[in-house]
Amino acid sequence: MKKSFWFLLVMAAAALFVLAACGGGAENNDSGGTEEGTENTEENTETEAGTEDETAAENSGDEVVNLYTSRHYDTDEDLYEKFTEETGIEVNVISGKADELIERLEREGENTEGDVFITADAGRLHRAKEAGILQAVESDVLSENVPENYRDEDNQWFGLTKRARIIAYDPERVNEEELSTYEALADDEWEGRVLIRSSDNIYNQSLVASLIAINGTEETKVWAEGIVNNMARDPQGGDRDQAKGVAAGEGDVAVMNSYYYGHMLNSAEDEEVKVAEGLEIFFPNQETTGTHVNVSGAGVINNSPNKEAAVQFIEFLSSPEAQGEFSEANYEFPVNPEVEPSELLQSWGDFKEQDINLTQLGENNKEALMLMNEVGWK
Amino acid sequence: MKIKGRVPTTVSGWGALALFSVLLLVLPSSFLVIRIFQPASENWEHIREYMLQNYMMDTLLLAFWTGLFSVAIGTALAWIVSAYDFPFRGTLKWALLMPLAIPPYIGAYTYHGMLNYTGVIQVTLRDHFDTEVSQRYFDIMNMPGAVFIFTIFLYPYIYAITRAFFARQATSLVENARVLGSGPVRTFLYVVVPVARGAIVAGVTLVVLEVLNDYGVVSYFGIQTFSTAIFQTWFAFGDLDAAIKLAGILMGIVLVLLLLEKFLRGRRQFSYSNTKVSPLKPQSLKGWQKWLTVAFTGSIFCLGFVIPVAQLTYWSVLTYEDIFSETFLTLIRNSALAAGTAALGVVVIAVVIANFTRMAKGVVPAVTSRLTVLGYSIPGAVIAVGVISFFIYLDEKLAALYDLTGASSALVLSTSLIMLLFAYIIRFMAVGYNSIEAGFDKIGMKFTEASRTLGMGWTETFLRVDLKMIRPAVFSGFILVFVDILKELPLTLILRPFNFETLASMAYRYASDERIQEAALSSMFIVLVSGIAMFIFHILIEKEPN
Repeated sequence: MKKSFWFLLVMAAAALFVLAACGGGAENNDSGGTEEGTENTEENTETEAGTEDETAAENSGDEVVNLYTSRHYDTDEDLYEKFTEETGIEVNVISGKADELIERLEREGENTEGDVFITADAGRLHRAKEAGILQAVESDVLSENVPENYRDEDNQWFGLTKRARIIAYDPERVNEEELSTYEALADDEWEGRVLIRSSDNIYNQSLVASLIAINGTEETKVWAEGIVNNMARDPQGGDRDQAKGVAAGEGDVAVMNSYYYGHMLNSAEDEEVKVAEGLEIFFPNQETTGTHVNVSGAGVINNSPNKEAAVQFIEFLSSPEAQGEFSEANYEFPVNPEVEPSELLQSWGDFKEQDINLTQLGENNKEALMLMNEVGWK
Repeated sequence: MKIKGRVPTTVSGWGALALFSVLLLVLPSSFLVIRIFQPASENWEHIREYMLQNYMMDTLLLAFWTGLFSVAIGTALAWIVSAYDFPFRGTLKWALLMPLAIPPYIGAYTYHGMLNYTGVIQVTLRDHFDTEVSQRYFDIMNMPGAVFIFTIFLYPYIYAITRAFFARQATSLVENARVLGSGPVRTFLYVVVPVARGAIVAGVTLVVLEVLNDYGVVSYFGIQTFSTAIFQTWFAFGDLDAAIKLAGILMGIVLVLLLLEKFLRGRRQFSYSNTKVSPLKPQSLKGWQKWLTVAFTGSIFCLGFVIPVAQLTYWSVLTYEDIFSETFLTLIRNSALAAGTAALGVVVIAVVIANFTRMAKGVVPAVTSRLTVLGYSIPGAVIAVGVISFFIYLDEKLAALYDLTGASSALVLSTSLIMLLFAYIIRFMAVGYNSIEAGFDKIGMKFTEASRTLGMGWTETFLRVDLKMIRPAVFSGFILVFVDILKELPLTLILRPFNFETLASMAYRYASDERIQEAALSSMFIVLVSGIAMFIFHILIEKEPN
């Protein structure tokens, strides 16, 4: 204990120096001060003036795109930098939870400075559309890069990356032949063997929403009841925890997102890598309706002051260059059919995807959640 | 500040200032309160039928057990450290505050990281002892686990407030009890606890409010509490009105709690009876008692600080190269800047209001004092909505002014850091206020009245007498708020201006994506900065002459 105390003291002293050193440094410009803009002589042309935002003026370029995002990967930031390098357009970011960003955008209304909204679930993209914060975009580039079922019917949002909801299993306790579909996991033979997250989780909500679209509400409710019966434990933790639950022998199969499995394989912690390597993954419903797939996507905000830059930005993210990056560094499947997934993803094999328009995930979301509450899915 | 004319006293000046502050604090919430009374939606029926009962039960259980355990641990530690002398006492005095530097959600991630299948304990057992122990025995993601997490990281609220009280207040009573032959247990139960009741209740109120407000731990552990219900209703059903109704119920519970607090603190005042306020003289412990005490206090410190920090350090070392860069210094500066400014705001406003409610008697000050702390009972996300609505409203009203100054955007205030700071102040007013109010309670009115009798005005008395006497309370209020803001999440995420990233928001980015190793470095810095803050102020308070 004494050692750790001294260690702490040294660290504390060091950090104090750092604080003192940068505390006296240049004042930051992050506060409201950026708005003072007395040099700006333009009047009554807010949308025009917006492009000459002072935040940008102090940087080299003149143009900016203001981004509201709930994605928070280092890959994304690298891509924003690349975009700035290529176009000279500065990318400003507010990140937060999707729903809270939607709420904020709604409130900012026509005065918003936001240009692009990005989030990691089709259900939420739909929610943003319903909230009226997005606008339709006509872009040949996007029509070409993003297949029809991965974008909004009215072109208000565009999918950028895909994740599959797969089943991870322990090859010693489960024979691959036993696995077939999501539906089959509700059968009696899986009693006490299934690991899955809580109903709070949007990926589960979207999975249930997709099943409602395919099998109808009644059947899905019976299915959800079966899943609750078969749960190995009360839902807890994230996707990785489900996989670890299988490794620990708490259950035999885990429902999880493909990209978490990719992250586990490449984890900084050896033990996580070991867990992932000890598991096999299975793409369900190959013989029937296809594996459930969800997207991360982007839309242009309704009152975007920099619409052109915004469209250009989304186009960039759908380009082969960016799409390859998503796949390589973040283990997501590209939406752009021209782009090959990374080697790791290819090693998982080709698979058949659910054939529904992802708009339905949003439309059925509320029903899905109510249904899960009703059957006692915690 | 002074109102000229027929109301000459400065009391009304203080009053006006206090009431104005309270108005400002309450206004954003009132944008929402109105909506509680909107007719129920169809979702509300669903929520009532399937969710409400369970959620109520889980919330109350969690709050009750956490409250109970943290009172036991917090008070016992405060007493041991104040009344006895044993090895490492000087270190433990401040070390026992340190768990407060670790946000419960980070503590939860860390403990789960250690206890799960790939965690250090299971791995050690597997690799070095060749034993497979069922994961079920290490499962922390459940109700008892959550109670443990909250207790071990929140008990310092009670410890800090109670110890400050013991240090300056309980001396003569305790010494009399000792002289009269009362044993240590008896003294503790029959003299110390009753006298310190006010301090204990103030502390436990903070703990329970923090638990009620938490979203990070419960959602991670899959425990369904009111805050889960509020978030789910608001976001998944997109039904803000139903969410506000739920928040209304939560606020109702909190209101009962606060009334209970007032009641439990009792009407008795224990103010200084003479000018000789001497600190308690600690008794030396001998033999096994000494080592038992060291073991007990030491293990609490280890559980609440050393162990999680060691784990975070290990993870930080693993990921250090990928995560650390120059922007990290900006993060530290942003965090310190935001937390420091807002904490200062809280303390100033709290002193103004507390001084007013102390001077003036009647219903208005009493209500004022309760309204001040209400913000703490509203979930962060709900405050955020209120504050945004309020600031956008202000921006609309000020549009003409902006045109005059030639600002390019119609949203000036609501895209600035001011909005975030303002929300922090509302949210954490209670933390600073309770501390300062307790400080005022402690000094009582005797000296103030004496000063008034000797011809000094209210303001002069305040500056020259009261302020000096409550300085420790002001300091401890400041630290608590500072540390709280450093750890705060929902407000920071929703309300910060473009490109304003803090340590907490960075840690969250990784943790929410189940990348706990990558989250460790930012978490470490939060812990470090909070830790330093608490250490510095601990020293300042200790130095404070009696």
